[in-house]
Amino acid sequence: MIGYICKYTPVEIIEAFGEEPVRLESGYKSHERAEALIHSNMCSFAKGVLENIIENNIEEVILTACCDSIKRLYDVLKDKVKFIHLLDLPRKKDPLAIDLFYNEIIEFIEAYQAFKNKNFAEENLLKILESKSFNKEKQSAESIAILGARLKDDVIEKIRNSCTAKVINFTCTGEERVFNIEAKDNLLKSYAESLLNLTPCMRMAEDRSKLINKEFKGIIYNTIKFCDFYSYEYAELKSKADLPLLKIETDYNDSNSGQILTRIDAFLESTGIKKMEKQKAKKGYFVGVDSGSTSTNVVIIDENKNIISYSIIPTGPKALESAFKAFEIALKNAGLQEKDITSIVATGYGRVSIPFADRIVTEITCHGKGAFFIDNTVRTVIDIGGQDSKVIRLDDSGNVIDFVMNDKCSAGTGRFLEVMARTLGISIEEMAKVHKEVKENITITSMCTVFAESEVISLIAQNKDQRDIIHALNKAVASKAISLVDRIGRKGKYMMTGGVAKNQGVVYAIESRLGEKLIIPFEPQIIGALGAALISLEGK
Amino acid sequence: MRSATKIFTYKILTRTFVFDAATKFYKNVVTLIKRSKKKSLRGSDKMDTVKIYANIIKENMDSPEKVNKLINLGLTTAYYYVSFFKDRRIPKSLHYLNKYCIKSIKDSLANPQNSAWVNLFAPSEFLIAMDIKPLFIEAYSSFMSGFFIEDYLIDTAESRGMSNTLCSYHKTFIGASELNILKKPKFMMTTSMICDANIPTFKYLSKKHGVPLYIIDIPYKYSKNAVMYVKKQLLEVAEKLGEIFNRKLDIDKLREVVKTENKTRALMREYLNYAGEKRFIPTMTFEMYMLFASHVFIGSKEVLHFYEMLVEDIKRAPERSGKNIFFIHLLPIFEKNFKDYFNFSDKFHIAGSDLNYDFLDEIDENDPFKGIAEKLILNSFNGEINRRVARIKELIEKIKPDGIIQFCHLGCKQSMGGTFIIKNLASELGIPFLYLDGDCVDKRNNQEGQNRTRLEAFLEML
Repeated sequence: MIGYICKYTPVEIIEAFGEEPVRLESGYKSHERAEALIHSNMCSFAKGVLENIIENNIEEVILTACCDSIKRLYDVLKDKVKFIHLLDLPRKKDPLAIDLFYNEIIEFIEAYQAFKNKNFAEENLLKILESKSFNKEKQSAESIAILGARLKDDVIEKIRNSCTAKVINFTCTGEERVFNIEAKDNLLKSYAESLLNLTPCMRMAEDRSKLINKEFKGIIYNTIKFCDFYSYEYAELKSKADLPLLKIETDYNDSNSGQILTRIDAFLESTGIKKMEKQKAKKGYFVGVDSGSTSTNVVIIDENKNIISYSIIPTGPKALESAFKAFEIALKNAGLQEKDITSIVATGYGRVSIPFADRIVTEITCHGKGAFFIDNTVRTVIDIGGQDSKVIRLDDSGNVIDFVMNDKCSAGTGRFLEVMARTLGISIEEMAKVHKEVKENITITSMCTVFAESEVISLIAQNKDQRDIIHALNKAVASKAISLVDRIGRKGKYMMTGGVAKNQGVVYAIESRLGEKLIIPFEPQIIGALGAALISLEGK
Repeated sequence: MRSATKIFTYKILTRTFVFDAATKFYKNVVTLIKRSKKKSLRGSDKMDTVKIYANIIKENMDSPEKVNKLINLGLTTAYYYVSFFKDRRIPKSLHYLNKYCIKSIKDSLANPQNSAWVNLFAPSEFLIAMDIKPLFIEAYSSFMSGFFIEDYLIDTAESRGMSNTLCSYHKTFIGASELNILKKPKFMMTTSMICDANIPTFKYLSKKHGVPLYIIDIPYKYSKNAVMYVKKQLLEVAEKLGEIFNRKLDIDKLREVVKTENKTRALMREYLNYAGEKRFIPTMTFEMYMLFASHVFIGSKEVLHFYEMLVEDIKRAPERSGKNIFFIHLLPIFEKNFKDYFNFSDKFHIAGSDLNYDFLDEIDENDPFKGIAEKLILNSFNGEINRRVARIKELIEKIKPDGIIQFCHLGCKQSMGGTFIIKNLASELGIPFLYLDGDCVDKRNNQEGQNRTRLEAFLEML
């Protein structure tokens, strides 16, 4: 077997040698061995591939001079594997460029022949190319494009399975290797030419705007940390904004993490291409389970959308147990048994690990659904939970049309307030009291939970009034929420959901920043579960 | 007599201009101080003039025309400052270079209609031969960092979607262009070599401004076919330049430029004979200023004159008294620790950077298109790292430094990817090697405390 990375690699030549080409992946959480050989600020994909090669003792590698990281990967690997070859890859595709690449391919063949002591037969290549010849396929009406840096196969597969539209993967992992080679008098040259004519990646000189089809239902744009090529195209697409666009940023290895998948799912839901099973009109009781990071909430409704019962319990270390427990409590409160339940929809971070759920839907769609059900004048939902915060934009029919989520850290969430309450030595309830009159208008400058904590400690040391410090903290949370709101634009009315909506101080601080009253539901923590229950009833 | 009058008139004119500029600047400073007094006095006592100037610029970012003028004022002030307040510690040649660099930036900014945006490695021989003013983006960004406004420009670029790990030289320039502080030029030209960011940055800028761009693709390996491939592109560039600037490239002029370039390189090689023995480069900035001379403006008469003066100066320079440090790639001219240790130091001398010597051969004067094509492909930073390692080895054997430092500029993968290989070379040669991470433009990315300990320990070790 011979490992390769780049789609421009002459994979068919390797096959013609009777060898197995294997696309090298990077799937390691740790880059310990790689970082002993290459600087840690290199692109995480290149480091992962290096780790893979060392870990699995891969002996034969073929690379292209595609980007700076891969060029240096070649330099580092040069004396460490039995066979390594670097193909120069022109960025243009005029006749001279084709000549250049053709010569590169010949050089590779010669090098590999010498290494393997095997002859290369052009007939084999021809057979392989004929078996991969071009078939004109029918254009599917609805499609979604994946653009940007390479995205792992398993993530692509997950997207394919969960959406009704055709998924076109334009990233380096998506090339369908089909050829239409006519000039058989110089097979290798025609082959070189057809390789250079593959979908151009960002390193090529060619303009890529022709890839964007106005008919796309949406674009998922993938970027990888330390791989900077694609942020340019994203910036361009973003400024045009005529197609629904979702950006995901990963370090390649974590591209199938829960957070990324939630975003993708919510995006598919909002563009209306999420795969959903059609359900008949239902009778009975319907359950929504919201397994959040801090609390697990269950709502049971009947076929007329009346809330029969609900429960809220802390999630604790075991999400599944808490989900069972919350479900049991809700059943008990309603005086129902499990057999009375027609269907169950799970949502929240823990949604994938709830075996008794019939379907799973992201908390973004559920919060939108629940909020609109409670008050159909709501256009913006501000949800601040224990570990994350999000702002959801609804259209006049209650559909989610845009959303933003906070980043990986807990800045401005319930956890932030919990840590600060502990630092101040008061209960979270005490913290939630509203103090409209302040002696001194303090501002906490750091949004990071860790740094803000030390800021609070120094305020305590300065003998500042506790109420003023609380006021400052509430302002800090509000300002984080407002910055999320501003990212999708302001539009009333606003509903606030999630545990933090019970904190009067924060609600007041957000209201004064928005200059508008917030709608606070009777129990802000169950809106996600309510939405899930409604989806369970409606089947969409 | 006539020339004396000329000088006199020139002095009068420049003085009037300086006076005018200084008054404007002073007025701005006073308004700012007044305003800041109204708000609060926090930190204003620490602010030095440059930071006040930076704040004025930042406050005016919504009116690009004004900012453009302010930047021009800053450059003009800098130009006259170095003209009138000569620092005795700075050799004549470097003083000349200092003025030349500021002037070249000013010239291209003042005449966007006769200017082209390029990258450090672009073959500007064609521009020089056709009297077109190049603005190379790395230099502009460096100046903006010198004006303390890089943070604002970088944040702007990132808010438009640029990756936060992208090289700050590129982000600063993109930020300035997004804010329309930079007036659009007539043409853009970049090579694909060495740095991945070149093609996407220029493609992005060209699309945004609707300015024609020519990408010169430089193969990674040297071969006859590769030379032909580049030569053909260079012929196309020349034609394109002719169309856009409405003038024809005179091949004899181009030959003249290449001849001057060859003469300049001969002087460069001569200079290297002394670089190890003398105490010469007073601050890191000068080693970086030399990139103007060794790259974008090489082939001009002024650069030739600079190297002539440089060789004379270094011959007369005092013998070195302290330790010699050779730098790999870039020097962090704004990093405080490095400034403290290297600028005007008797103990530690700047012995050079391999970036200034990435090509030392002669260019074919008979076929300048082919010659320039070869120069581009054979650059020591292009191709396998072995090529670069061989050049570093050659330089080290000549200069015999006491230590080697590589400052790994954040986002520059082509350079930091080779750090451990260069470290191996240093240990083979028995020379202490240090690599530090940081940013040459975005000062916020420098961990001063951490770097100080490492740098001090390394220097103590020597």
